[in-house]
Amino acid sequence: MGTILIVAAYGVYAAFWIRFLLHALLWWKAVTRPATIVGPVPRSSVKSCAFSARDVVLFWRLLKVNPALWFGEWAFHVSFLFVILRHLRYVFLPVPEWVWWFQIPGLIAGYILPLSLLYILIVRRFSVREKYSSPANMVLLGLLFVISSLGLLMVTLYRTDVVAVKLFTIGILSFTPAAVPDSILFLMHFSLVLVLVPLLPTHILAAPLVMLEARKRDLGLPLVIHEE
Amino acid sequence: MKNKRSFTEELSPRQILEIDACTQCGECLKHCPVQDVTGNPTVSPPEKIRMFREFIRASDGLKARLFGPGEVNRKLLEDFTRAVFECTTCGACGQNCPTGIFTQRLWPMLRKEMVKRGLGPIGIQANLQKAITNSGNPYDMPAADRYRPWFPEKVRVADRADVAYYAGCTGAYEAQPMVRGDALVLGAMGEPFTMLPPDEEVCCGFPLFITGQHDLLEDLVKRLVEGYTVRGVETLVCSCPCCVNIMTRDWPVIYGRELPFKIRHITQFVATAVQQGKFRISKELHERVIYHDPCYLSRGVGVIEEPREVLRSIPGLTLLEFERHGLNSRCCGSGGAARKVFHENAIKMGRLTIDEAVKKKADRLILSCPACYAKVNEAMQGHDKQIRITDIMELISSLI
Repeated sequence: MGTILIVAAYGVYAAFWIRFLLHALLWWKAVTRPATIVGPVPRSSVKSCAFSARDVVLFWRLLKVNPALWFGEWAFHVSFLFVILRHLRYVFLPVPEWVWWFQIPGLIAGYILPLSLLYILIVRRFSVREKYSSPANMVLLGLLFVISSLGLLMVTLYRTDVVAVKLFTIGILSFTPAAVPDSILFLMHFSLVLVLVPLLPTHILAAPLVMLEARKRDLGLPLVIHEE
Repeated sequence: MKNKRSFTEELSPRQILEIDACTQCGECLKHCPVQDVTGNPTVSPPEKIRMFREFIRASDGLKARLFGPGEVNRKLLEDFTRAVFECTTCGACGQNCPTGIFTQRLWPMLRKEMVKRGLGPIGIQANLQKAITNSGNPYDMPAADRYRPWFPEKVRVADRADVAYYAGCTGAYEAQPMVRGDALVLGAMGEPFTMLPPDEEVCCGFPLFITGQHDLLEDLVKRLVEGYTVRGVETLVCSCPCCVNIMTRDWPVIYGRELPFKIRHITQFVATAVQQGKFRISKELHERVIYHDPCYLSRGVGVIEEPREVLRSIPGLTLLEFERHGLNSRCCGSGGAARKVFHENAIKMGRLTIDEAVKKKADRLILSCPACYAKVNEAMQGHDKQIRITDIMELISSLI
């Protein structure tokens, strides 16, 4: 089982980078191609960058169109980030001090994460105005909910040997595989993470850049046909 | 369908990122006018993007790179083509997109890809190139009838002037009270203006651009730009939002350099004249009017305040607003060259606009787009709710 998990981890890791590189290649080919008709390109400014930062960090655009969903989405993304930062203690040896700063916030975020996912599912399923739910998004939400719930169980009710977990992850990263921790919850948690990585949506990387462009475009709209 | 061509060939780097950036959240559906009348999520923005991602995967994914481009299901391609051409390209989805995808530009480029693959355009849209080559306009109407039926006799057109007026094909052939109003208002302003002869005032290229048929664009744009340049034009005034949109956003790119004149929507021109005291509306109008923002004027080029300023300058007039107005206006169904192909959708959308105007107890529905004017008037035929429909310049011309 351990060997399968380790091989799968390397496979998923390789697939992640191949997927990333293929997208980068696609984008680079478009950059080097003769330009298509795209219209005027809005200029960057301090204001557009500041507003874009607000859009990215606070999901401002979502807040404007759907405050109820925004609440859950923002809570989910922030808690997810803190949980990831907390998990970095399994990756570094020795653990840098800044990673320790995120241990308590990460623990709190671990409680918020499944609750926020549950909230999003409820809002999306029962909102009167909801017209469309992407099946892929629903699978992703469900998967994240199970993964985060398993993680929470390992922190609260069925504690897992964190030293064994660390040895296992460091072993994978250093290509000197170690034994899989003796915890069924961990096995499930880790296996589902391996399922999650290939399903990670591409918007994680592309959306912030698109938000920057959108903000520049919004600020530039009054200048398209008006005098500056 | 096997084809070595990449599905990203017509997309800019920004648009490739936009395809990746869609979170499939579905917020856009709440603002999509096609959804309002069809309720069919398979023609929705996130579904279109999801399908297009599959196409990109087939032509540029790992499997395609290792073993050559994969076969794309013909039905999926046809479904996608129908969905992308059924869209009115109004851009309301992008305006309300939590990520900010510029859909008003993305959909026409996806249409172009389908055209390059021989799957589009759809129905009557396929005749556009031939009609424009034949007669200079998408309706294949004689150039001799472009101005004659509506141009006011008392209005003088100069051979050369700083200001030129472009009537546009839809105005000239399908919304004549509107362009007649434009000419009357320009005449009343007293400033000399010029126009191209009817056989030289060809299509601005928008119907071709929006249906993904870009082959004739360069020729049309060069003919028009050069025509106005030799007449010494410094400001080109037009009342059609679609024409204004392509002139402002795309003509410089197609022409290859900055245009030698400014483009202005007629409401901008009139609002400036009102502000400067050069133009005054003296007659009173004690009516409640509601103004509909055309998608390519508001979301397209940001002309939102000027039509309202012009309307507010009418003594006695009360201006009402639609629930969705300005940048969030709802498409009346005429956009994206879909009105002639998906006629029923367009009629239903037009009726939603009429219904809301009637519900708000407006005496008159004011439009400022010839396509909206033609279609909403058509939508009112046989409809149980009736309202007087007037173009903004038609109204102004009746009050001077």
